[in-house]
Amino acid sequence: MSTTDFTVTPLPRWWQNRVVRKFFGHRLALLGLVMIALLTLACIFGPYLLPYDSLYIDLRARFAPPLTGDHYFGTDPLGRDIAARLLMAGRISLLVGFFAMLLATILGTFIGVVAGYGGRVVNAVLMRLVDGFLSFPTIFMLLALAVALQPSPIMITIIIALTGWMEVARIVEAEVRSLREREFVLAGRMLGLSQAHIMIREILPNCMGPIIVAATLTVARAILLEAYISFLGFGIQPPLPSWGNMLNGAQQYLGSAPWLAIIPGAAITIAVTSFNFIGDGLRDALDVRNDNF
Amino acid sequence: MTKEKSPKSGFTRRATLRMMTAGGAVGLLAPGLLGKPAFAQTAPAEPTGRVVVGLSQEPTVFNPLMPHIEVDDGVAFSIFDTLFRITPDGDVVPNLATEVPTVENGGLSEDGLNWRIKLRDDVTWHDGEKFTAEDVKFTLELITDPNFRAWRTAGHDLVRDIEVVSPTEITWRMEEPFAPYVSFLCETFILPEHILATAEDPNEAPFNRAPVGTGAFKWGSRQAGDNLILEANPDYHGDGPYIEQLVFKYIPDMTVLYTQFRSGEIDLVGQAYITPDNYEEAKTLDERVVTLEPRGTLESIYLNQALPVFQDKAVREALYLAIDRKSIIDLLYFGVPGEAETFMPETSAFHNPDLPEHEFDLEKAASLLDEAGWTPGAEGIREKDGVRLSFANSTTTGAHLREQAQQFIQQTYAQIGVEMTIENLPPAVMWGEFWGQSQFDSAMVGITYLIGADPDVTNRFHSNAIAAESGSGSNNAQYSNPEVDRLLEDGARTFDVEKRKEIYREIQAIIREDLPFLPLFRYTNVFGRKAGLEGFEANSNTRTESSHAALWYWG
Amino acid sequence: MAAFLFSRFLQSAVLLVIVSIIGFLVLYLMPGGPLSQYALDPGMTQEDIARITEQLGLNRPVHVQYLDWIWGLVQGDWGTSFRDGSPVTQVIARHVPATLLLMGSSTVIAVAIGTWIGIRGATHRYSGFDYIATVGAMIALSIPTFWFGLIGIYVFALRLDWLPAGNMYTIGDGSVLNYLHHLILPSIVLALVHIAIWSRFMRTATLDAISQDFVKTARAKGVSERRVVMKHVVGNALLPMITLAGVQVPSLLTGALVTETVFTWPGMGRLFLDSLGYSDYPVVMGLLMFSALLTIVANLIADITVALVDPRIRLA
Repeated sequence: MSTTDFTVTPLPRWWQNRVVRKFFGHRLALLGLVMIALLTLACIFGPYLLPYDSLYIDLRARFAPPLTGDHYFGTDPLGRDIAARLLMAGRISLLVGFFAMLLATILGTFIGVVAGYGGRVVNAVLMRLVDGFLSFPTIFMLLALAVALQPSPIMITIIIALTGWMEVARIVEAEVRSLREREFVLAGRMLGLSQAHIMIREILPNCMGPIIVAATLTVARAILLEAYISFLGFGIQPPLPSWGNMLNGAQQYLGSAPWLAIIPGAAITIAVTSFNFIGDGLRDALDVRNDNF
Repeated sequence: MTKEKSPKSGFTRRATLRMMTAGGAVGLLAPGLLGKPAFAQTAPAEPTGRVVVGLSQEPTVFNPLMPHIEVDDGVAFSIFDTLFRITPDGDVVPNLATEVPTVENGGLSEDGLNWRIKLRDDVTWHDGEKFTAEDVKFTLELITDPNFRAWRTAGHDLVRDIEVVSPTEITWRMEEPFAPYVSFLCETFILPEHILATAEDPNEAPFNRAPVGTGAFKWGSRQAGDNLILEANPDYHGDGPYIEQLVFKYIPDMTVLYTQFRSGEIDLVGQAYITPDNYEEAKTLDERVVTLEPRGTLESIYLNQALPVFQDKAVREALYLAIDRKSIIDLLYFGVPGEAETFMPETSAFHNPDLPEHEFDLEKAASLLDEAGWTPGAEGIREKDGVRLSFANSTTTGAHLREQAQQFIQQTYAQIGVEMTIENLPPAVMWGEFWGQSQFDSAMVGITYLIGADPDVTNRFHSNAIAAESGSGSNNAQYSNPEVDRLLEDGARTFDVEKRKEIYREIQAIIREDLPFLPLFRYTNVFGRKAGLEGFEANSNTRTESSHAALWYWG
Repeated sequence: MAAFLFSRFLQSAVLLVIVSIIGFLVLYLMPGGPLSQYALDPGMTQEDIARITEQLGLNRPVHVQYLDWIWGLVQGDWGTSFRDGSPVTQVIARHVPATLLLMGSSTVIAVAIGTWIGIRGATHRYSGFDYIATVGAMIALSIPTFWFGLIGIYVFALRLDWLPAGNMYTIGDGSVLNYLHHLILPSIVLALVHIAIWSRFMRTATLDAISQDFVKTARAKGVSERRVVMKHVVGNALLPMITLAGVQVPSLLTGALVTETVFTWPGMGRLFLDSLGYSDYPVVMGLLMFSALLTIVANLIADITVALVDPRIRLA
């Protein structure tokens, strides 16, 4: 939804130290990193520490409000512990977010490099494709796809990735185009290195900065998108919990059991905000300029 | 998302027990359709006021001969008339006709092949044209017109030689005797010949978006996606209407639907009704009448008999024993639905009351499996001769209560070493080939078995009706029992009611024994309306709460 | 300019064709279909369903159906809704006003509030306000719209009972006030993300403008800060604002879809979800094409405006 125009200063060899220092100087980014770390740890280890299993159904304990006994976040319509479910759902949601980012970044980078390094025609075709995907209200397509295909977590991940690679492709294409005439690339070419070698070994490492920033923001976006489609009932299906589908049934009980809606939504907001903070910090630290948000 | 509710109630006989709850309106009267009902004296002389019916699905099909769903029926019953109506008690009474044809009154020939219908002469269409036998002829012919996208053609395709004797009399011949046809005609709305006969393509005629009928209400206006307003027809030939405006309001969200009922924005909660979780609270609302209305639909788990695991009767029995049905009904469904052992509605004369009652007994289920040779294998899942006691259960995505029941059953099954995975599908996919061609392992589904009040269920249980094998029929469980086949054939040929009762009770007993499906509960809807709304009566022989809005009035 | 327009037009056409092919294939190749909703209707036989399938032409090969459909589309015939029998264009047209009302009012809110926050943030750079606005914008961008809507309903409709929980108006009360009452919650919910985007954008634009020479000159001349900002900065930022508005159309549509679902708003988003549920393919395809068209046109207008005004931009 934003036109991105990244430029990067040539990265010095000792970039890591400087970047790390700068990143840790960014308070919000640090906060985001801590939150994500805590969330991830909680999702990995939390379920083993909680007194209840996320799948254990106890109809007598249904609709317990938060802080009822050991149910810190209350229970759902089947009497399952929401805290346990939230953490299990977090595993799914975070994994979907992470893998969607990975796929989207790989796809975007590939298309970006090919477009940037390829000839005029290749570039034109690929970049128009990017424009096309970018200008399209993806949720319409996303929902149509989710209805038609089996809504497994893997499928949802792929669908989300398919609608999220364009930013990366644009960034990489711009980088590659500006780098391809640079001395080290020209030198490589004169040395007779293959095109693939030049792309992968010489050009790519030089646009890692913007890619990393875009990737971080893509995780945030993917988590949000998963929540959207699962909320609308087309995403990940119960009994597998995800933050989005925990919200799906919640609207019905909004009057009588509001915590069913409040808690998973808060988890999504925290996770997404954290990734956005980290992205922002990385952008500053890696000196990636991005005019729009 | 949209198919959580019961499909069709059929023409099942009306539930005898209507549980009234607190909130007034105790003196609900059964309006006689022939004579002037007693309460009509208190109904206003002039139509006054407005009734807003809240629906969770949007009525969009206004040509009632074309494929449509329950909510469209409510509109059709208000705008159009049928030759006959079916009362809540299951009696057929005349509407556009002057009498119900019988052998005694000369309407039916002895062999049931020749029909003669006498029509009212005081009926006009909303545009002022007179209603005649030509309209009936046109309607019946349109249904079987190969170019017309007709909804149901069963029964109608047997009609031959339609003849208009006079503007008030029509005759036809049936290809073979077909008793349920009277019931079918109770849902066959008569359309105006003078408008549609000249339409270029009746499938896409402007009429379909602004219908003209003979009913108690005229087409008013429609705000797509939000509401539909019908206006009183002052020239209506029958009783009523007593209200000026009938509004169908589309409220896709069940919480909002209930909230607006509570706040008084809607006067009557229609299709999809009040969700069971709100029942307790709804009962306590002031100035609201909340009732439980049983339907003819049975919720059950279909077991695909083609699956090796389900061919062992011990497995099916154990699976039934291991369902904590009481908890599902009382807790998940808040005690709203009723227990059931058979597909036949309790209110039907053919219902078998002597079937063994379900019990929840995990130990018995486990020992049953042990005896049958299903012993725990890897991960505690039972197996026998290399077959794991593991299967998938499917229903439509977004049906929250069903999803909850699935997960609950999944847990109890796991306790006896049975693995049930959940693989839910979007409605369009679920009810496509997946269901029709029996591609599921097991399915949680609500089914109405009877067409009309007739107990014939050949289409559901005869081994010839397995669509996956023969290409037609709705025996989706792929159930096959030669004894049941024989009884079904006998039942269809038998006219003596007492003999038929015996046959169908026997069928129910065998099916209860064989368990091609595991009965969960009988559908019951929670109706809610404002206390002042009089003349309202639920009719489980139709698919809609608005089957007779002509009689509603504000008391 | 003509060449630019022509090439953009061609691109858009190709894009539309691609979108249509993907959408069509996905919908028509999925199992089940529009008639599966009648599978449990006891009065409808398999034969009835097969007959209607044939009457609707749904048993033809998918490429034949596609060519048929796109040929109709080219001639202005978008097909007929399976569900309600009306032409697709009419069905969509009936739902457009509600969506436009929602998008319009939320855009007004977003621009007004976003502009104010952005300019104030830029003129009071690094102040507490600026910091809170920056952090707030990032959080606003991270909140799922539907969740924000649910919380809004819970607080203002269910608990406080100040605002309606859904719908566009009360039956029998078509007054402007009644519409406004129903509009408040959904338009604020939909506006949230856009307030964030606008405020960030206005902040950057204002900062850029402030640093420019003519503003410094104006200030040196003794023109008040307020007037400088209002006159030059906003005037200067107008151009990119148009682009931004164009670029935001898809995200507004997305937001509208979700907001309409939560608030039972009778717009295109609601229609899209209902049509998906009923497998009303012609309407789903129509909405896909319509939203793609809307987006393309919005982008095109933005591009042309910018190109016309700013000669520096090279037209490819």
